[in-house]
Order: sequence, then C-alpha cells, then structure tokens
Amino acid sequence: MPSPSPSPSRYDAIVVGGGHNGLVNAAYLARAGRRVLVLERRPRVGGAAVTEEVFPGFKFSMFSYVVSLLRPEIIRDLDLPGHGLHILPLESTLTPMENGDYLAAWADHDETRRELYRHSPRDADAYDEYGRLMHFMAHAVKPILGMVPPDPTSLHPRDLLGLLRLGRHFRGLGAEKLHALVKLMTMSSADFLDEWFETDVLKATKSASGIIGTFLGPRSPGTAYVLLHHYMGELDGVFRAWGFAKGGTGSVSEAIAGAARRFGAEIRTDATVARVLVTRGRATGVVLENGDEIRAQAVVSSLDPRRTFLQLLASDGLPEEFVAAIRRFKFRGSSGKVNLALGALPNFTCMPGPGRHLRGAVSISPSLEYVERAYDDAKYGEFSRRPYLDIVIPSMIDPGMAPPGKHVMSIFVQYAPYHLNGGWTDARREAFGDAVIDAVARFAPNLKSIILHRQVLTPADIERVTGLTEGNIFQGELALHQLFFLRPAPSWARYRTPVRGLYQCGAGTHPGGGIMGASGRLAALAMLGDGA
Amino acid sequence: MTPDVIVIGAGANGLVAAHTLARAGRRVLVLEQRPEIDETLDAGWVPPAVVNELGLGRHGLEVVRPDPWISVALSGGDRLELWQDATRTAEAIRRVSPADAAKWPAFCRRMHRLAGFLEALYAVPAPDVETRDLRELLGLAGLGLKARRLGREAIIDLLRVLPMSAAELLDDWFEHDGLKAALGAGGVLHLRQGPRSAGTAFVMLHHHVGSPAGVFRPPLSNAAQVLARLPGVEVRRGAQVKRITVANGRTTGVVLGSGESIGASLIASSADPRATLLGLLEPGWLDPEFARAVRSIKCRGVAARVVLSVARDPGFATLAVAPSLEYLERAYDDAKYGAVSQQPYLEARVEDGRVVVHVQYVPYALAEGGWDDARRRALGDLVVERLAEHAPALRAAVTGREVLTPRDLADRGGLTEGNAYHGELTLDQVLFMRPVPGWSRYRTPVPGVYLCGAGTHPGGGIVGAAGRLAARQILKEVAR
Repeated sequence: MPSPSPSPSRYDAIVVGGGHNGLVNAAYLARAGRRVLVLERRPRVGGAAVTEEVFPGFKFSMFSYVVSLLRPEIIRDLDLPGHGLHILPLESTLTPMENGDYLAAWADHDETRRELYRHSPRDADAYDEYGRLMHFMAHAVKPILGMVPPDPTSLHPRDLLGLLRLGRHFRGLGAEKLHALVKLMTMSSADFLDEWFETDVLKATKSASGIIGTFLGPRSPGTAYVLLHHYMGELDGVFRAWGFAKGGTGSVSEAIAGAARRFGAEIRTDATVARVLVTRGRATGVVLENGDEIRAQAVVSSLDPRRTFLQLLASDGLPEEFVAAIRRFKFRGSSGKVNLALGALPNFTCMPGPGRHLRGAVSISPSLEYVERAYDDAKYGEFSRRPYLDIVIPSMIDPGMAPPGKHVMSIFVQYAPYHLNGGWTDARREAFGDAVIDAVARFAPNLKSIILHRQVLTPADIERVTGLTEGNIFQGELALHQLFFLRPAPSWARYRTPVRGLYQCGAGTHPGGGIMGASGRLAALAMLGDGA
Repeated sequence: MTPDVIVIGAGANGLVAAHTLARAGRRVLVLEQRPEIDETLDAGWVPPAVVNELGLGRHGLEVVRPDPWISVALSGGDRLELWQDATRTAEAIRRVSPADAAKWPAFCRRMHRLAGFLEALYAVPAPDVETRDLRELLGLAGLGLKARRLGREAIIDLLRVLPMSAAELLDDWFEHDGLKAALGAGGVLHLRQGPRSAGTAFVMLHHHVGSPAGVFRPPLSNAAQVLARLPGVEVRRGAQVKRITVANGRTTGVVLGSGESIGASLIASSADPRATLLGLLEPGWLDPEFARAVRSIKCRGVAARVVLSVARDPGFATLAVAPSLEYLERAYDDAKYGAVSQQPYLEARVEDGRVVVHVQYVPYALAEGGWDDARRRALGDLVVERLAEHAPALRAAVTGREVLTPRDLADRGGLTEGNAYHGELTLDQVLFMRPVPGWSRYRTPVPGVYLCGAGTHPGGGIVGAAGRLAARQILKEVAR
C-alpha cells in the first residue's frame, strides 16, 4: 500500500467488516498515519464479538463469550485498557459427572492438584509435569502466531529465508520439544492425553477444549494442538488465561474501535459492502449495497475467504487454481449457542448451592465417550442428542449484565452441524434448544424452572447474523491442511490476494480464530510493508 | 559357533536384516518361535533394493498383482472393478460416473507423484531433523530439493494432502461412493481410525507406494518364503526368545524358552518395539521417559483375518464390501467404543482354493467381555453373511473356516495387541517419530540391541525395507 500522498481518493484504505480483526487492522493502519474507513454491515461494530441486550435488562455476549488469546502486543500498542477494556478472571472449571461426583479445577494450582488427587494420585503427579511441558510448548509455538507465513512454493529470497528461519526455530527447540510439537500437531487430544492421564473425566474436559469450533471429535487426529491454547494465554502476564471482558465481549470490540478512532480512523455502521471495485486488476474501492461508490488506494477484507473472493469479487478475474482452493476451503460450522435469562441461580446436584464454582465455567463433558458420541451424531448430520456444553454465568462476575438478583447464562454448544439433515427450521432450532436445556438439567435439575427467556442460535443463525460462512466461528476450520501457509490458500497466506491492492485480514488467514486480533495486525503490517 | 548377531524373528524383515548382515561377513543366527515356514503370501511392496541386493529374483520371488486389484460390490449385484491398467479402470469408472472417470487420470498422476516422493523417503533411513551432522544436513537439503523439483503443484499437494483425511481428499475429487470407499479403505488398513480422520490420506498413499499409477493396494508376494529358503544364514525354528540379557549396560545375548542361553553382542529384533523393549529386554535398563514413550506406541489391532475353505467357486476372485465412506466411518465408530463393526469393511480374495478375508474393524480388546469361541464363531458368521449378500454362491460353498482375531494374532504371533504393522501408521508414528520420537535409527538405549521390524521406519506393508535399513545401520555403527 502506498505511503500517504495527495491522491484523488479520500482514503488510503477501506476495511470491509468491523469485526475485531477489521478494527485491529484499521487501528494499526491509522496509527501509522493512514486515512482509514471501516465499513460495517450491522448497526454496531464487533462482528461475532458483540454484547447485545437480547431481553430487556439482560445483556449477552451473543456469540463469542470468553477472551483468551487477544495478543498482548495489541493490547499494549492500542492501549486497550485506556479505551475501557477490563478483563475479569474466569478461574475455575467444574465438570459434573454421571455418578454424581465432579472434577473441579481452581485458580489455586495446589487446590486443583488436591482435587485431582481425589480422582487419581498418579494423575495429580503427572499434572505438574504435563503443565510444564505445555507451558514450554506454548512458548515454542507462540512466535509462529506472530509470524507471516513464508510461501513454500516460492523461490523469492524472502520466502526461502522465512522457511530457513522457520526450520531453525523448530530445530532450536531441541529434540524433546520438537517431538512434542509434532505430536501435538498430529495427534488426537484423547490419544495425547492418554499418554499422561488415566482419569477419564479429566481427559474429557481437557480434550473438549480441543474440539471447540472444529468438526472433529476428541478422538480425531489434529485436535491435540488446541490443548496448547489454554497455556498460551497464561504466558503473557497481561491478564489471566481466560476471562470475561467487563460489559461482555462487545466491549473488546468497542475498545479497539475507540483506539482506531483515536488514531483517526473513520467507522461507518449500517454500511453493507456489495462488492470490491477492481480496475485493471487493481482494487480501487468498494460499492455499497445502496449504490454508493467509495474509492481508496487499498481495500482490506476482514470477511471470510469465501465471502471475500466469491461474493465481493467477480471470481472470473481470479486465477482458476486460487478459486478452486477457496471453493474447497472447509467451513462446516459445528457450534451453537444458547443464551438464557435466569430468574435465579442454577443448582448443580454435584455441588449444591451458590458457590464460587458458579463464577467459573461449567463443562458438560462427563466422559470421553460422552463427547465422542456427541460428535458421532454431528458426523452424520444430526445435532448432538447429548451435546458437549461450556457454560458460564457472566452476571456472577459482572453484575451489570443482568437485573439485580437475576442472571444470564451463556451456553456454548457442540455439536450443531450447519448441514443438518433436512436443514434448520424453527422447529429444529427449538428441538436443539430443548436438547441443550435437557443436557444441563441432568446435572442442574432446577434449571428449567428458573428460565425466563431463551435465545437459541444455530450455525445457520450465526451465519445469518454475523455473516460467517456456514456459521464457522473461526472463518474456516482449523485443520492441519488449512493452517499456516495453507490458510486460506497456498501462496496466498501472506494477507495479499491475487488482486493488487486487495488484502485479507480476517480469521480465515493465519493464525486464525478466537478473539486474537493477530490476523488483523499482521495484515496491517504487511500492507504498511508493501508501501514502505 | 557363536553368532556375531542374533536376529529375532524369521519374518521378511528379520530375514532381510539377517541376510544383509551375513553378506557383509557376519555370522548370523535367526531365532523363530514358529516351527514351520508360514506359506501364506504377504501383502506388501518389495522394494527393488531388497530384491536386487539379495537376488530374490533368482531365487523364485513371485509378485502377484491381483487384477482387478479390487472389486467393489455395488447395489443390485453389480461390481466396480479397478484394474492394474489405468485406462481399463477409467473405462470401468465411466460406467458408474463419467465425471469421476474424467478426473481419474489427473488423480492418478498426482497421487503417483506423491507416492514417488514417499518411495524415495522409504529407501533411506528416516530424515534426522535434529541433526548437526553435515552429511545428514545435506541429506535433508537434498530431500527439500527433491520436493522442489517436483514442482509447485506437487509441493502444495505434499503439504496439503498428507495431513488430510482420505475422505476429504476423495470428496474433493470424486462423487461415486463405491469408488471413494475402495480408495478410502486403503487409508485405514490396520489403523484404528476412520476415513474421516486426519492423516488417512497419507496411509492411502503409503499403500500406493511401489504400485503402478491407479493401483492403491500393495501386491502380494512370496518374499518371506524365498527369504526363508535362501542359503547363508542359520535359522532355528521353534526357538522362542524369552529374554534379551544385558550386563554392564550392553547386551550379552538371549535366553530361550527352553532355558538355553545363546551369547551374542548384537541383537536385531524384528518383533514389534513394545514386545521387544518391554517384553523381551531385561527390565531395568530403560530410563522411565523412554519406557513411557515405548508404552505409548499406538498399536491397536483392528483387523481380523478369516480364511474360508470352499468346496466350489464362491462366485468371485476378489470382492470388497465397502459401499461408501460413510459405511467405513460407521464401521470405525463401533470399534471406537470397543465393539466389532456390525457392518465391517471386507476385502476377500481367493487364494489356493480358499477365500482369505481382511475384516476391519475388529478390536483387540472388547469393551464387554473378552474373545472366546462363541464370539469368534459369531464373527465368522457375520463375515460369511455379509459377503454372501453380494455373492450368494458363497453361503453353500463354505466347508470350513478359520477366524483369527487381533487377540489370536497377539497370542500366537506375539504381536502386541495384534497389530500387524507393529504400530499404527499415524502421522505421529512415522518417519523420525517411528518407533518412538528420536529413535528412528534402529538402535535402542541398550548398546547392541537394535530393532529391525515393521515397527521401525518405513513401517508395515513394505516388505523387508525396515530390515534392510536396520542391517545397514548396524554395519555402519559396529566395526568388525
């Protein structure tokens, strides 16, 4: 992207989509002095990171609900705390078991070990060693998240050097960590955990974190890698690994938007981009749905690759091989969300009463088989009869989310396949919601009697509201063959596209999903680099 | 005579290792627990290096390439037959799907190119990615160059396809369920994974190595029998090794089941790594980390072998029951929870008037109860019934049957969990991760003890390659 210079267009860059990656991208460009315009289709910014008052008085982080991987350099560079970002820790996880017992992980490491000891002394011992290894591995992988992927097919010195650097990084890890890394990248989380632990409910709960957002089960190879994510947040020291943003995840987006505006970016909502203008092979601006044309030196799309390349562009201008790669890029949304307004607190049979466990997460993952069978249903096009659930009650930590004495409960659900047999209908949505409520009520029988309102979101709803193709929360599956220099397409993983002046900055590029912001930042750096 | 080297096991890998060592002037004694030579043909590609170095061709090596290499039962009694000749195969595919037939040549070309790359990898020891040794580094660089010379499309295929699931790969290319299942089944052989699991595209290619383009199953051969009769090494049959003895940190030889001790300073075991290192090796010599890695080798037997004696022609020469990828995936689902697939993958072949059937998935360990005669009988019934649905003549033709579950393979052959590949070919258990990470060069932590079986690089389904590479490693490391 060219340096600021007098030009006929008012903007140096137009960012399509005001999700957190688009906003991060805009903030970095504006910070470097570029004139930036963000265009957001919805009335509010945030994309899938929004807080909405779904029922009067009850506010929900409607889709994305926890903050874990937001890059610390972004928090610092954009001074997000100064723009109102405040993370409240989410420190415990309770897993109710079928036999009435439970497994709990607390903020206090020793307390967690004691709890684990109750289940298996051997696992309690292994827990420390496992934690150490994962901590090391997170260290080893982190630099890759901040790295622009080299193109392995190119002979450009930049790419060769990048590959060499990558090779040296891996070799520099030393044998033990390199082997662990290969295992984490290729194994199933269940197999990986089998090497460490014997307590089934522990393996189930840990491996459940490996399936979030994927169309895979805990026994599917490729799920072990995500086990690392939990440890990655902890390294940063900026805040604890997992947490809520005060005011819901929407306040993360608002903070980034605030920073972008402070740097001079313009953000327009209710502005739907219909297509990207291309003149002589170069992106020159966008056309809005209302017909308005806005010109800019560069356009960057934070939408997913399918929307960017197959909807915003006329694909006949793109290389055939590239279009084929984008077409086969897999989305297959697999997650749903149920948001409940509650008149009182749920009472879990395994740990009755309102305790500190309600300030943390409750994981419905009583056994590996339970989670795996939930996947089996989805594999053949049904929603899980007994789904895996990740439950939080944000109003316990952030009372402003619900009226006094009342609560909001956020239930992340897997699996709900986008391609449901027979398709999603209102009736199927409600049946799905019932299955979710039933799955919670098995462990908290008072739930049904305290529900005031419920909102059920299927992958089809997620797609409809946020625009995420097939409702995939990561803008494309995080499978090994869709990562790093293959994300979203070979040779086009460096945020550039076959159209000059058009860039991509969404989670469909490396390093991908979660409220991480890394794609937005790396894309901005690539754009600024092109102009330098 | 005191041998220089004792080789444990007279399978193809053990014998190739033995003969390679013998030709370099070592006195080799092979110890085999079975009293007789096993005359059944082995499935697996015999690499040219093995054939040429040991002159197997002169000694009667026969490689059988079944033609068609697979015949998939379609609904309505029809068959989809895939042949050694790619053009003939394309013709057969055209009858069920013109679209797939059109893509067949390009698919074959690209898969064959990838298999060619694997073939090159399999001819040499696994790349040592941690090395600081200049020669090794040059080897690594050479490999990189080899990949680059294949061209852009091939590099992308290599990076993209190998970690994929066979199902995703095949769904990208084809529409016909039977065709996809025939190919996809090659991606799960001896693996406790279904075709939708990542890494199964690699296994499919593994079974393509050494075959002509368009043939995705290895041939059959009598290599093990030829090797068994090859002069030059002493083979003692009926000699079961009970213990590999160690003194002062080095091996001193073996003790047999009979109590007899045989001294040797070098042992090459073609038994699987878990059986060798946790079962045979004198306990106490492995550090706990290494022992844990060995214990963690995934070696889950999932394939049974059913041999049916038939009084007359069963109505097929070869027959596969694999109607769709979903069928295979559902068959895997049963095994995931420790049950025999109610609708298993079957690959049947008529050999010497018997029908030999590969049955998958049949777990080594059942979730409920153990293997007994009743369950074995039930499995036999199931196999005959499922085959007869597509070949009704079979039902009346069967006069006898033998059912070998993974449990039986473990009990009789000493195979850990009855896994014929001595360790599943998952991406975390191949190349420099096989048999355990960092120990891919056939040696073990106990000086003098080597591994030379399918549990080492390049793994099962390739006849004698591991034995040859192990023997060469031993010769390189141990001066006379």
